[in-house]
Amino acid sequence: MNIFVFVKRVPDTESKIKINHETNSIIEEGLNFVLSPYDEYAVEEALQIREAKGGQVTVFSVGPDETRTILKKCLAMGADEAVLIKDDAGETFDALRTAKIISHALKTKYTEFDLLLFGKQSVGADSAQVPSMVAAMLDLPQVNVVTKLEIEGNSGTALREIEGAREKVTFMLPAVISAQKGLNEPRYETLKGIMAAKRKEIPVVTLEELGIQPDELAAGLELTKMESPPVKESGKIIEDEPSEAAKKLAEFLRQDAKVI
Amino acid sequence: MFNALTDRVVRELKKIVGEKNVICDPEKKIDYSHDEFSLSDIAHEPDVVVKSNSTQEVSRILSLANEEKIPVTPRGGATGLCGGCVPASGGIVLSLERMNRIVEVDRYNQMIVAEAGVMLMDFYPRVEEEGLFFPPHPGDETAMIGGVIATNAGGARAVKYGVVRNYIRGLEVVLPSGAVINLGGKLMKSSTGYNLLHLMIGSEGTLGIITKATIQLLPSPQMSRSLIIPYENLKDAIDTVPELLAKKIMPLAVEFIPKDVIQITEKFLRKRWPSTLGSTYLLIICDASTEEQMDKLSEQVAAICMERNALDVFVADNPSKQQQVLEIRSKIYEAIKAHTLEILDIAVPRAEIAQHVKRVQEVSQEYKIWLPTFGHAADGNVHTHIMKAVYEDGHIVPLPEEDWKNKLENVRRELYRDCKERGGVISGEHGIGIVKKPYLSYVLDEESISLMRGIKRTFDPNNILNPGKIFDL
Ligand SMILES: Cc1cc2nc3c(=O)[nH]c(=O)nc-3n(C[C@H](O)[C@H](O)[C@H](O)COP(=O)(O)OP(=O)(O)OC[C@H]3O[C@@H](n4cnc5c(N)ncnc54)[C@H](O)[C@@H]3O)c2cc1C
Repeated sequence: MNIFVFVKRVPDTESKIKINHETNSIIEEGLNFVLSPYDEYAVEEALQIREAKGGQVTVFSVGPDETRTILKKCLAMGADEAVLIKDDAGETFDALRTAKIISHALKTKYTEFDLLLFGKQSVGADSAQVPSMVAAMLDLPQVNVVTKLEIEGNSGTALREIEGAREKVTFMLPAVISAQKGLNEPRYETLKGIMAAKRKEIPVVTLEELGIQPDELAAGLELTKMESPPVKESGKIIEDEPSEAAKKLAEFLRQDAKVI
Repeated sequence: MFNALTDRVVRELKKIVGEKNVICDPEKKIDYSHDEFSLSDIAHEPDVVVKSNSTQEVSRILSLANEEKIPVTPRGGATGLCGGCVPASGGIVLSLERMNRIVEVDRYNQMIVAEAGVMLMDFYPRVEEEGLFFPPHPGDETAMIGGVIATNAGGARAVKYGVVRNYIRGLEVVLPSGAVINLGGKLMKSSTGYNLLHLMIGSEGTLGIITKATIQLLPSPQMSRSLIIPYENLKDAIDTVPELLAKKIMPLAVEFIPKDVIQITEKFLRKRWPSTLGSTYLLIICDASTEEQMDKLSEQVAAICMERNALDVFVADNPSKQQQVLEIRSKIYEAIKAHTLEILDIAVPRAEIAQHVKRVQEVSQEYKIWLPTFGHAADGNVHTHIMKAVYEDGHIVPLPEEDWKNKLENVRRELYRDCKERGGVISGEHGIGIVKKPYLSYVLDEESISLMRGIKRTFDPNNILNPGKIFDL
């Protein structure tokens, strides 16, 4: 089994995000960046499949030099190889752009694979489009939002979440799978793993090396404004005798909140 | 000895703090009758709860109470574990909850001035905003600044950075007479007279009411990493700790935790601990200012652990992963609370920890009672939990009341005796309050207690301030 996993470097979900309104971007200073949590499920799944069936796990990420830290993390978890596809464009929120870069790489340089694993979406951009776009561009079967995966020979079975139910899908390899929470419990790195990963080389490929022309990556999306979600207002406290307070509450729920 | 609270005094109190800050409603007062100590036997309702908003108000309340001979018990976050803020003789509970302002952040002196009612959960973010660091970290962030000073609280990071006492530079205190005194200041040094500042720290609300504190901060460490280290047996885990110290390795925190309580807490929180190996874990938190330092430190730690038969070394080093690990550690208390009778707080010399914990295990077997024990391994502070249950095949099995009632007292005595033999104290960070009062003489000689009584009488001749705590007069 030759498994490729695609991962993204994102701000830690614990971070407090601040916006620079002039450049319409996130202020990165003081932010911690991590492997996107859904991608972590994808890496874990790849490792478990390799442990059961043998083979090789290679992790790819598209991004700037700083992306190495999350590739190192994947190596520390146990991935065999990691590749940085260097793209200095920063956060474009342009899923089409990322999908084009990945599918280019898979068509030209990294053509031998049985399974492509992604997180169902990256936290931060949360567009949930890259896996499906890559599948379409390569004309491969795909199953998204997967919570259980089994591979047998050259086919597989996946359970995916749909509204109110789970759908069972069988497919042929090679295929694209995107991982949902619940697929597995990602392992913590061991110190040994981390130190070994530090010593390991991470090859870098540039967009030119993949033969991507700049005009192919022309923006498919324009970012007009970035805003923080509105601050949650603090709750309303009705102070009165219980019977009066209950009346006021009912009135509030009916007239102001319009929920009853 | 004390006078009953009269309507006239209540009216006076209302004049001082305003009508709505005086609570006489029994339903609301009940919330002020206990702290986090589990047994309801020690709960006692106050006659009235008063919520002050300024030092001036505290002063007027105390001088009124002193004149009328009505007991006053100061109360912070009520997260205490020994009944310290329980109004054992009734009277007034003076809640500092409204005095919750950060008065000043002094960047040049790296100090912060805060009122006594600032909650830790508001305090830490404010300190972090300044890029600064307040090392002591008691496990419950609803505790308040006044309370953590009055108990001289500690927490997991004490190994490297010491306890609350090490960070308090100045205090504003209201004495039982109503006099307001200022102790210390924005000073790093003082050899000027007896150190009343330090007498006040850890005095559990018996000498004066702390209204404001000047607190030393540190520059925040650049990065931290948590190592989770499973062991096949407790002995190897604990024996690792003196090895670390002997090799002069100084992590931020070293906690030892048995697997059974981890598993219970994992279920309780639906979160997962990094490892399922072994029977006991060390949780070692390292801090450093560069990645190289961090790697070097963690490799040194790991090497010593592996020599002591650790099974592996797992790492959590981004904030959310560390948060997850720490959350499990700090919610153990909640997960087993329903079955907990008492949390002991014994502190022994660090090199004695292994032997003391061994004794705990023997007592657990002798008395057939579950005594999960965990704590701050590297500073000698062991929290043995006396449970009203046994733990069998992954299940908590409650014991009948007649059974645990007898055992509780015997287990306490056995463990305090062992503590004494090892040169320990019965409280490392929680304080004596009411619950540990009967055992004070196990570890302090009569002469010392008598000096303490003398100090209490000097500060509080009418014994109105938190009477019946630490020792009887
Ligand atoms: C889950 C949990 C974890 C904990 N972990 C730790 C830990 O790691 N380390 C640790 O040290 N403790 C720990 N504790 C114990 C407790 O949090 C500390 O003792 C804390 O310092 C108490 O602060 P408080 O504001 O809640 O004080 P309270 O419980 O309100 O009062 C404690 C004592 O201080 C007195 N007091 C309160 N405010 C004042 C004031 N302004 N002036 C004078 N006296 C005052 C009270 O009269 C009482 O005697 C833990 C408790 C819980 C429930």
